[in-house]
Amino acid sequence: MIALSDFLVLSAILFCLSMAGIFLNRKNVIILLMAIELMLLAVNMNFVAFSHYLGDDAGQIFVFFILTVAAAESAIGLAILVVLFRNRRAINVEDMGSLKG
Amino acid sequence: MDFTLPNFAPAMPEIFVLSMACIILIVDLFLTEHTRVVTYLLSLITLIAAAVLTANLDTAEPVLTFSGTFINDSMAVVLKLFIYLITFVVLVYSHNYLRTRQLYQGEYFVLILFAVLGMMVLVSAHSLLTIYLGLELLSLSLYTLVALRRDSVSASEAAMKYFVLGALASGILLYGLSMLYGVTGSLDIGNISSHISTSIATPAEHSIVLVFALVFVLVGILFKLGAVPFHMWVPDVYHGAPTSVTLFIGTAPKIAAFAMLMRLLVDGLGDLHSQWQTMIIIVAVLSMAAGNIIAIAQTNLKRMLAYSTIAHVGFLLLGILSGTLNGYASSMFYVIVYALMSLGGFGMIILLSRAGFEADRLEDFKGLNQRSPWFAFMMLILMFSMAGVPPTVGFYAKLAVLQAVVEADLVWLAVLAVVFSVIGAYYYLRIIKLMYFDQPDDVAPLAAGFDMRLAMSANGLAILGLGLFPSGLLTLCARALNP
Amino acid sequence: MEHIIFYIFSAILVLSALMVITVRNPVHAALFLVLAFFTSAALWLLLEAEFLALILVLVYVGAVMVLFLFVVMMLDINLTVLREGFTSYLPVGALIATLILIEMALVVGPEHFGLDSVAAPVPHTAGYSNTQALGNVLYTVYVYPFEIAGVILLVAIIGAIALTLRRRPQTKYQDPSQQVLVRSKDRVRIIKMPSEKKRGGA
Repeated sequence: MIALSDFLVLSAILFCLSMAGIFLNRKNVIILLMAIELMLLAVNMNFVAFSHYLGDDAGQIFVFFILTVAAAESAIGLAILVVLFRNRRAINVEDMGSLKG
Repeated sequence: MDFTLPNFAPAMPEIFVLSMACIILIVDLFLTEHTRVVTYLLSLITLIAAAVLTANLDTAEPVLTFSGTFINDSMAVVLKLFIYLITFVVLVYSHNYLRTRQLYQGEYFVLILFAVLGMMVLVSAHSLLTIYLGLELLSLSLYTLVALRRDSVSASEAAMKYFVLGALASGILLYGLSMLYGVTGSLDIGNISSHISTSIATPAEHSIVLVFALVFVLVGILFKLGAVPFHMWVPDVYHGAPTSVTLFIGTAPKIAAFAMLMRLLVDGLGDLHSQWQTMIIIVAVLSMAAGNIIAIAQTNLKRMLAYSTIAHVGFLLLGILSGTLNGYASSMFYVIVYALMSLGGFGMIILLSRAGFEADRLEDFKGLNQRSPWFAFMMLILMFSMAGVPPTVGFYAKLAVLQAVVEADLVWLAVLAVVFSVIGAYYYLRIIKLMYFDQPDDVAPLAAGFDMRLAMSANGLAILGLGLFPSGLLTLCARALNP
Repeated sequence: MEHIIFYIFSAILVLSALMVITVRNPVHAALFLVLAFFTSAALWLLLEAEFLALILVLVYVGAVMVLFLFVVMMLDINLTVLREGFTSYLPVGALIATLILIEMALVVGPEHFGLDSVAAPVPHTAGYSNTQALGNVLYTVYVYPFEIAGVILLVAIIGAIALTLRRRPQTKYQDPSQQVLVRSKDRVRIIKMPSEKKRGGA
């Protein structure tokens, strides 16, 4: 049988890959958004695995809502990206000159 | 399948705000630029009516409904009332600002109402699921509001930064929530809390996993609060967003964030207090230090207030980390007072601005006393209050938090907090110097309308009045947490 | 058998996730993300979450990733600028990610969540419907979150339209209601003219 820990480690690998993706692709907003989707996938994997091994449906319900919200979130994120592109003709976050942190 | 209809009564304010937001959305379709004032007035009426509905709720006992995903208790009622009040003033302040900047759209008001709904959900959340959904409803509305000024490069850059970091924070928070669910086997805050208290009593192997979950949850929350080292989005978003949106982001959502901290950390993970106290101490010290020191170097008032927010978040955390009811009450007092002060601070920027002129640089406040002694005095009160000078209410807010810290035997932390607030006083007093001792560069009369002037004066006097009689609000906060 | 399926799909999932964050071309990244979602859906089937596995493919691959691809192709992105700094960050990034992974794996690994501490559940019988089980609670116990999710989708619609809809004066578009309302006498004007006589009579 596959143990719960196998799924959790798999999800931890996905989580770390998405963190690394965010760190490495700081200039490329599209890949950033994809890395965030990957992070949510890791979270969902966790919830589904726990839900199965606990024999409790609540985790699956939570995943259902995360999927819904993530769809809404990417719609807004991509809309903001389009607005940004229309204004700057580029989607590069790093040299956003007008805002200095 | 047995199903009983849930008790809708405790959620009446939420249902009402949602219905009104949808009605306003449709009504706005039939309005033109000239009749849009109807949307504005309807939004104000919605907030007033929601306040009446909320105030009429019975809070003698906490009421759970919708299968335990929703809670109404006295803390929720008090926080919701302040959210309505602050949003009401935000709308009054921003009305004229929007009209002169092609931002006068129905979406602005509708999105603010949806953000208010998100905050209400968050304040009344009693399940990990509703906390997450309320947070996302609030955040998605705020991302859109920041980007609503579509032709502005800085606004869309700020929105993009806000979105990416906000989504990242949500992801980290969710990972923590998933671990919490895995260890405790429930999404319900009450069940999580009781599970943790039993597993702490009998040291189980899960305790390290609980701390692991706690770290992710904390990072997510601190990101949303804008505490150091997760603060990098705050100055950019405050600076890049239109001032009326900055005004909103910098005020009411802080109250909702406080509620989220209370529900998750105190109600849910209260038994892990010794674990999260250390982490929050570090973050609080870093926030107070970085916020106050970097603020000195700012020349833009919106950025300066952003760093001052970070410093204030540090103070807010002091009350929470003390881990006593007194401490939580002092934090609640602090966050309400802070929201009122920053409402005034950003309100002054709007008051001084006019079409084509943003008034967000420090130089724009030069010689304000000669242009308008009354509003210079209001700004003086606000800055004194933010710096924590008596007899303004900001002093009592800091005092209450520091007392809680001292009671928790963390005297060194209280001393450090005082040192940082003395450093912080410098940049607030610099504005007062600019207003009273410098010559104005620009002598144009203030363009603000009567409603704006009235609200601004009320805001400033409220800060002074609450400072002279702080006991009312203090007891309200104490009673809200300990009915 | 289950082990083999699990390890094959996990390997594909990890590799495609790795490709998402490292490939040059955003279109390729989006396609690798689609692959990651498909393999995750297969893994969720192993966990008896059939409904969510299907939803993941339908909603994520069918809608969200298509939206991503639309946007990637709509925006004319300069790839070389976007890659700047990638190689210089790579060693540090990879090192930190590996360290975090090791720490996380120690916590979520077999020591706390192995088969000894969490036993594998008994598989459901053939008549069990995962969709029905979720549907039963979704509209009763979780009706409040369900409504909020609906509001979130409404906000997303409002936000996306408010941010991107613009009326460009030079674009030509049809307005069906105007087209239907058109009457022939608005378009064709019949002018009565006195007939002219031929000149002269030549």
